[in-house]
Amino acid sequence: MLFFFVLPLLTTVVISFWRTESYTIIHDWNIDNYVVLLTKHTYLVFLGRSILMATAVTLISLIYSWPIAYFIAYAGGRYKLVLVLLTSAPFFTGIILRVTALQQIFGPIGIINTALINLGLKPINAFMYSNFASGMGLVYLWIPFMILAIYLSLLNFNFDLLEVAKVNGASPIKAFFEVTLPLNWIGTAVGIVLVFVPTLAASITPRFLGGVNGALFGNILAHQFGATGTWALGSAMGVVLFFVSIIAIFLVWKTVDLRRSGFTGGDI
Amino acid sequence: MSETILQLQGIYKNFGSVEAAKNISINVSKELFALLGPSGSGKTTMLRIIAGLETPDKGRVLINGRDVTNLPPYKRGIGMVFQDFLLFPHKTVKENIVFPLKMQGKDESTKEEQYQWVSQLVHLEGLDERFPYQLSGGQKQRVALARGLVSRPSVLLLDEPLANLDRELRKEMEIEIRRFQLELGIPFIYVTHNQEEALTMSDRMAIMRLGQLEQIGDKFELYHHPQTSFVASFLGSTNAMQGEIKAVDNGCIVVDWDGVSLRAPYKDDFKIGMTVDYFLKSEKITIHPPGQKPDDHGRTVIEGRLRDTIFKGQYADYLISLKNDNEIIVSDVPTISPALRNATVSISWPSEAPDVFPADGGLA
Repeated sequence: MLFFFVLPLLTTVVISFWRTESYTIIHDWNIDNYVVLLTKHTYLVFLGRSILMATAVTLISLIYSWPIAYFIAYAGGRYKLVLVLLTSAPFFTGIILRVTALQQIFGPIGIINTALINLGLKPINAFMYSNFASGMGLVYLWIPFMILAIYLSLLNFNFDLLEVAKVNGASPIKAFFEVTLPLNWIGTAVGIVLVFVPTLAASITPRFLGGVNGALFGNILAHQFGATGTWALGSAMGVVLFFVSIIAIFLVWKTVDLRRSGFTGGDI
Repeated sequence: MSETILQLQGIYKNFGSVEAAKNISINVSKELFALLGPSGSGKTTMLRIIAGLETPDKGRVLINGRDVTNLPPYKRGIGMVFQDFLLFPHKTVKENIVFPLKMQGKDESTKEEQYQWVSQLVHLEGLDERFPYQLSGGQKQRVALARGLVSRPSVLLLDEPLANLDRELRKEMEIEIRRFQLELGIPFIYVTHNQEEALTMSDRMAIMRLGQLEQIGDKFELYHHPQTSFVASFLGSTNAMQGEIKAVDNGCIVVDWDGVSLRAPYKDDFKIGMTVDYFLKSEKITIHPPGQKPDDHGRTVIEGRLRDTIFKGQYADYLISLKNDNEIIVSDVPTISPALRNATVSISWPSEAPDVFPADGGLA
């Protein structure tokens, strides 16, 4: 745990306070990297874009995952587990193949646009190489985590409580917000974190699907360790990402009130 | 009897090929009415049809003369207490209780007023801010009752409400529920598979079996004058025997039960040679100490071996082995010493004590 988890993190932190010159790390303590990150417009824009992207992807995943997880938990019968495991299909192949598959669908000569052209209609360019495409790719990639988290929570949910709500005059929507969501909020919060955090650091998906203007913070970060060779700045970016994630986790954790979650198994 | 509040008229309901309700008609007035039956008898389906959680295939539900068959549950003016309480674990006692009012969009002052009224009625003062996991079983039960009553329903439905309470608490709640019913003067319809509970609490009851109504009426009537084999065997501690009618004698029939003669009152549809079911409640039998032979005028008298005595305090169950290898359970005041095991004793009962029906099957 210490070796694999804390040590790499510490190394990143240490390097972020050094500097790089001509592709070599110079052990010279300074905070210039952070000054650059927090003052240079470009980096803040990319960070803001990533946060926006992660928020949007999380929200879309949330809206998609709930009905899927609910359906599987409620009506899945003895196929529940198989069904929920099948939602991990995006992981059956490698990430590159997965991204390429999305290109085949949304790309300029992908299935959708080819069909549109064949029907004599105008192709839709917004699909491919845009933030929209990156977002779709990221939702596709991370949604299984959200579904799984909500599904596991729903397994312990007493669906009979909805009957109580119904008898007492709650519409299905009211019953969802009064009963189902609060009682499954911990699982949902876990799902939110599991989608938000990796999306924030995404680099491969936006690189393949985002096009010229689709670069996110993760792309710029990866760049520091590649072409530009500015490892120290890259490490500092990593540390910033780390803190943004911690803040996100903290904010989500603040929304959980154990007594209001129906969870009575002690602290979590 | 006072005016009818709830009417069920010719209710039918099938689930696939299972007939959960078959031509059920019941009228309930301001009383505690128990729906009793074994599991799978359709009693819970009936309750759900009254509540509006199921729609009948045929038939009507009327509350105070208004046809509510196609109304959603909350527009029917019913309250419901669920099995296992089903309190919302994430809501406080107060939030649980005012939930129906909140869902029906009542204003704050109404909520507060109704809440004060109902929490006093069920004795829940001071528990407002507790969560269900901090409550005892009895308190949970009271919260569930309060939630069912808070919107002042015209009918309260209770689905096995005492099934998960221990004995002491169950007795206490039985008395409490009766008190609420008298105080509120609305019908309480109570589903249970526990006959003791039904007999203790109800004014009238209906016994259901396989989606059909076996008998409906005053609980005394049902207990002492069952109209079907099922009701006779289901209620109380019953000895079930079967035999052939050998003779008709002096307004009585004589039934041969594996070589033992049993007497019962004659009924019009009885014929010599007919096979009948002969049900006898164990407390209607008298046990006589060894050596005493009762007068057999108008009584059935049998000799047997006292195999065992199960002492219960106020009474004792005597297990009597008969010469035809059958066994009869007798409940009587505990006058015979348990030391008299294996002694030969006589047992007897009046000819009118048993309930006898032609044996055309129909025993679950």
